Amino acid sequence: MDFFYVIVIMVGIYVILATSFNFVIGYGGLISVAHPAFFALGAYASGILARDLGWPVLLTMPIGALFAFASSLLISLPSLRVSGDYLMIASIGFQLGLVEVIKHVSFTGGPGGLTAIPQFLVRDYGTVSYVIFTLVIAVAVVLVTRRIVNSDYGRAISALRDDELAFATLGKNAMWLKIWVIALASGLAGLAGAIYAHYFRFVAPEQFEVLQSAAMLTMVVVGGMRTIWGPVIGAILLQTLPQAITFINLPPSILGPLQGLLFTGVVLLFMFFRPAGLIPAPAIWQGGTSAPIDRKGKLDVRGA
Amino acid sequence: MSAVLEIKGLNKAFGGIRVADEINLSLHAGRVLGLIGPNGAGKTSLFNLVCGVVKPDSGEVFLDGAPLAGLKTFERARLGLARTWQNIRLFPSLSVLDNVLIGANDYPGTKLTNVLFRPGMVRAAAYRNLEKAHGILARCGLSDTHDKLVSDLPYGRQKLVGVARALMSDAKCLLLDEPMAGVEGHSYAAIQAVVREVAASGIAVGVVEHNVAFVRDLCDEGVFMFSGKILARGAVADLISDRQLTELYFGT
Ligand SMILES: Nc1ncnc2c1ncn2[C@@H]1O[C@H](COP(=O)(O)OP(=O)(O)O)[C@@H](O)[C@H]1O
Ligand SMILES: [Mg+2]
Repeated sequence: MDFFYVIVIMVGIYVILATSFNFVIGYGGLISVAHPAFFALGAYASGILARDLGWPVLLTMPIGALFAFASSLLISLPSLRVSGDYLMIASIGFQLGLVEVIKHVSFTGGPGGLTAIPQFLVRDYGTVSYVIFTLVIAVAVVLVTRRIVNSDYGRAISALRDDELAFATLGKNAMWLKIWVIALASGLAGLAGAIYAHYFRFVAPEQFEVLQSAAMLTMVVVGGMRTIWGPVIGAILLQTLPQAITFINLPPSILGPLQGLLFTGVVLLFMFFRPAGLIPAPAIWQGGTSAPIDRKGKLDVRGA
Repeated sequence: MSAVLEIKGLNKAFGGIRVADEINLSLHAGRVLGLIGPNGAGKTSLFNLVCGVVKPDSGEVFLDGAPLAGLKTFERARLGLARTWQNIRLFPSLSVLDNVLIGANDYPGTKLTNVLFRPGMVRAAAYRNLEKAHGILARCGLSDTHDKLVSDLPYGRQKLVGVARALMSDAKCLLLDEPMAGVEGHSYAAIQAVVREVAASGIAVGVVEHNVAFVRDLCDEGVFMFSGKILARGAVADLISDRQLTELYFGT
């Protein structure tokens, strides 16, 4: 049963990661590979604060998220002041650099990883409570993201992605919008990291390598980039499929590579047969405030 | 009468090409100024310099007497400067209506905290903007296409959407870059009528245009630009009947 719980928790965590990554690259059109780094920052910050300072996990989790949120300014502020093209370069540097730093300082546990991270909920209320906790947060993240992308804010993000110069000439601050999009997504990745850390109670630098962003990107693309439910379905699919074959009793020497193959196979299948993903994004932005309009352009706001 | 937009001694060179050579120009409230001249004269560059898209080598630009130097493009727009683009530059993933809505200045919904925590206030402002946008679309004869993708519209109507989007911001000064190029029929009449209305409402309008009839009918005054210089200014009818200028224009 525990194995099943682990899968569901991992699904919840990856729903948060894929949804927030989609917010940056899909909706924002901003190319960054540093999502795993913010995942790591949330995990380590929350884990260290709870373990070494004894702060309650309920407090360290949001602090971990805030820490990742604020740290994103380190890449977005300098790179976006110049031009959007530098974001990817800055994100590569940050991603690779952070993992190296984690490996080489002592308070993170170095290459051996951070161990004995305090548990949350599980001891008092059982594993199911943590599963529910994770899923509630994942659902909340998805709903908040949906609210944002369908709002005026989301319309602005779409316009910015389409044409930054035209956007700026309409009096909109493109740089700060991009900074906020990245910060918000990074904060959510940090939250996912904190949730991860306090369940598995152990994090190591190699769990947050740059290749992780390929896994997240795959979930986004397979599910449907720039849609709300695409990354959710992508995360579910790509977390559960490789696990499903573990039920066939195969020796570990075959199982590992087979899981990798399955992952790659799914990606290839999609590339050829469904490049827009399971849920293709609509051509036109779907959000906005709807209200009945009469022929003269007057609004019928009764009941609004 | 003081100028809404005032350009003083503006210079700009791209490598060896001078696109602005001691440009002095004023745009006044309620008046339409036409900028004519051959391709490559520096007309679009002048708009880019005014909007802060391109930095001048020297010279100054004032909006309502306030210097714009050092202000970013979006800050200038917020002070009341709006423009359209020669190549339109609409937002392809937004509907016609949403393209126009983006132009609004008063938008609490573009602050994240408002979206998350003050939905009522956001919705009220959204309704105000929605009503205004529909009004502008109606004036431009675009009401029936408000939910279409802009790429599904014929070229002339796309240009109209560009004008509608610029109008949404309540600008004091509106710069139109070749609004009539490739436009005919219905959209031609619509753009003409809208520009007249805009000027009549007290906005200062600058328009770059090759369509002689349009410029003559609409502009109170014109300047002739050639390789970054203003060679002549005066009544549009005089400029376009000037033999020398005509020769420069057609490159004979
Ligand atoms: N960003 C730029 N960099 C280099 N050259 C430019 C740039 N923008 C415009 N030019 C050059 O400046 C000249 C004037 O261009 P432009 O202002 O577009 O003229 P017009 O709008 O009158 O046709 C052209 O020769 C053009 O190639
Ligand atoms: Mg031009």
